Amino acid sequence: MNVVVCVKQIPDPADPGALDPDTKTLKRDTKLILDESDSYGVEMALQLVDAAGGGEVTLVSMAPNNEVGGIRTALAMGAAKAILVSDDALQGSDALGTAKVLAAAIGRAEGTDLVITGTESTDGYTGTVPQQVAELLGLPSITFANHIEIGDGKAAVHRQTEHGYDECEVPLPAVVSVTAGVVEPRYPSFKGIMAAKSKPVDELGIADLGIDAAQVGWAGAGQEIVEIEPEPEREAGEIVEDEGDAHERIVAFLDELKVL
Amino acid sequence: MYKWSDEQVMLREAVRRFIEAEIVPHVDELEHGDLAPYDLLRKFFSTFGMDFMARDRFKRAIEKEKAIASGELPAEASTEEAEAEAMPTGDIMRDPNAVAFTMIPIIELCRHCPGMVTAMGVSMGLTGAAVMSKGTTAQKERWGLDLLTLEKIGAWAITEPNSGSDAFGSMQSTARRDGDEYILNGSKTFITNGPYADTIVFICKLDEGNPPAERKVLQFVLDKGMPGLEQSKPLRKMGLHSSPTGELFLSDVRVGKDRLLGGTEDQPAREASKDTFSMERTGVAAMALGIVERCLELCVDYAKNRVQFGQPIGEFQLIQLKLAKMEVARMNLQNMVFRFIETTASGESLTLAEASAMKLYSAQAAVEVALEAVQLFGGNGYMAEFRVEQLARDAKVLQIYAGTDEIQVSQIARSLLA
Repeated sequence: MNVVVCVKQIPDPADPGALDPDTKTLKRDTKLILDESDSYGVEMALQLVDAAGGGEVTLVSMAPNNEVGGIRTALAMGAAKAILVSDDALQGSDALGTAKVLAAAIGRAEGTDLVITGTESTDGYTGTVPQQVAELLGLPSITFANHIEIGDGKAAVHRQTEHGYDECEVPLPAVVSVTAGVVEPRYPSFKGIMAAKSKPVDELGIADLGIDAAQVGWAGAGQEIVEIEPEPEREAGEIVEDEGDAHERIVAFLDELKVL
Repeated sequence: MYKWSDEQVMLREAVRRFIEAEIVPHVDELEHGDLAPYDLLRKFFSTFGMDFMARDRFKRAIEKEKAIASGELPAEASTEEAEAEAMPTGDIMRDPNAVAFTMIPIIELCRHCPGMVTAMGVSMGLTGAAVMSKGTTAQKERWGLDLLTLEKIGAWAITEPNSGSDAFGSMQSTARRDGDEYILNGSKTFITNGPYADTIVFICKLDEGNPPAERKVLQFVLDKGMPGLEQSKPLRKMGLHSSPTGELFLSDVRVGKDRLLGGTEDQPAREASKDTFSMERTGVAAMALGIVERCLELCVDYAKNRVQFGQPIGEFQLIQLKLAKMEVARMNLQNMVFRFIETTASGESLTLAEASAMKLYSAQAAVEVALEAVQLFGGNGYMAEFRVEQLARDAKVLQIYAGTDEIQVSQIARSLLA
């Protein structure tokens, strides 16, 4: 059972830095860490490989400046190796551009039975990359999985819904995005941390993947960031003096929000 | 080494995350209740695979030791090497990361719960190390592994009501030969893990009717529940509440030679204990660093946010002076820890005098910083809720145990004047 997990390395949300006024994107010149929302996918993959009794977990990541900080964390958790795509031409890539790169990189991993992703990244939140990767690879895809079981060349998946979950099945290989919080990501062990620095990380540029620079980065982006501005200050709340009708005001307020 | 490596930072972050999630929620129970720290420590060990690593190292060390004994390996593959291999720092001691990995958990635990380090250190570092460095192969197999994995809790019993700093000179606990056996008697006090210990290394003098000053010092390994061995309830203390401390009373405890550490009366027990002192003292620098780091963090945050006279108190120069002195102490302590890591990784060890100098500075710095933290917090600092008062009470013991400040001073001076 070989599982590829797409992992994003992002600025530390505890110290997120700033937006670059020139590129109108998040500055990524600080040390990057493993996106927490991807740590669930890594854990899920490790558990599936353990349950299968063999195989390995390969990480795929796209990041500037050959950054490996977040990848090393996932390697310390137990992943066997990683493929990192880093290229100046990738700056400004939109979700589709990113998906093209990830799909090409996943293609370099041999014997893949399953591709796992998070549902969306903590810094970008487009939530579209997993499905795009699946389409580009020509693989079936299930999103929002909170439970995966492998057997008979298929993955049985619980797909989270607003009220519970749907039971789905998909033939392998497939792309499955897993929701945050469904498994408890393990702490990297002392031994795992020591071993992580000697695990192989295949560092590639877009030329290695046969990707034309015009398809990715600013050149290939199908979107344009027109303007960035600070989030509006939170407005003061409304104070209601109770003159015997406060309960009615609360009901009306909740009704307005359509939560009743 | 001037900063933590990427791997060390990764470990620090992971350990910090675990402590904040799993240990901090229990600090009040550890501090003011009767929660013993052992289950939390075991969880800490198993989460990071330290128990697994200890088993692995132990297995290799014992195999090597047996191979040497049977002549399969040449005796030049020294037994000392095999002994060192079984310890937590063991076979990977030449790697700075590996040495740092023994320091980081100490630092991180001490940010919240210095007592847990004492409980862990005495069980694994002192008792486990005593068995692994001086025990016979059979004794290591019988007691060593369980101590190194924290499966069993250990206590190292040297201090007595009338023998503290003058540990060997005033020691009154005795062993008397009785046929092939020994009869042990004596009282021990201030014994970390004493109330709960499963395995106790009991240090005493062999009474052959000769004057006490001429008696041999012997170490015996005892098990909880042996006839004649009484373990007291935890003593009430000023601080370090998460480290249970107690008394031991031995009344005609009969033991076979199999419990005599090393299997012979001719072990250099005084020297062995001095090696232990040196190890304890370097650990105190890491403990002090954790306490000082945490105090400084809490104080910087408080100085920025506590407003008096219309401005954050951090704007006042008297507060700035306190913060600056704390930062100087933090840098000094960190440099000492880095020096220890580098020295050990290069295959050398600190002399007892160097370890004493490190301990003297560290203990004093921790107490000074923690008390200044209480002062900086004012009335809030005196309240348990703000945490600095606990760290101040806990820090004080660093000047007393593992050799008082006064003993460190004399050790350093003796080395200088020799």
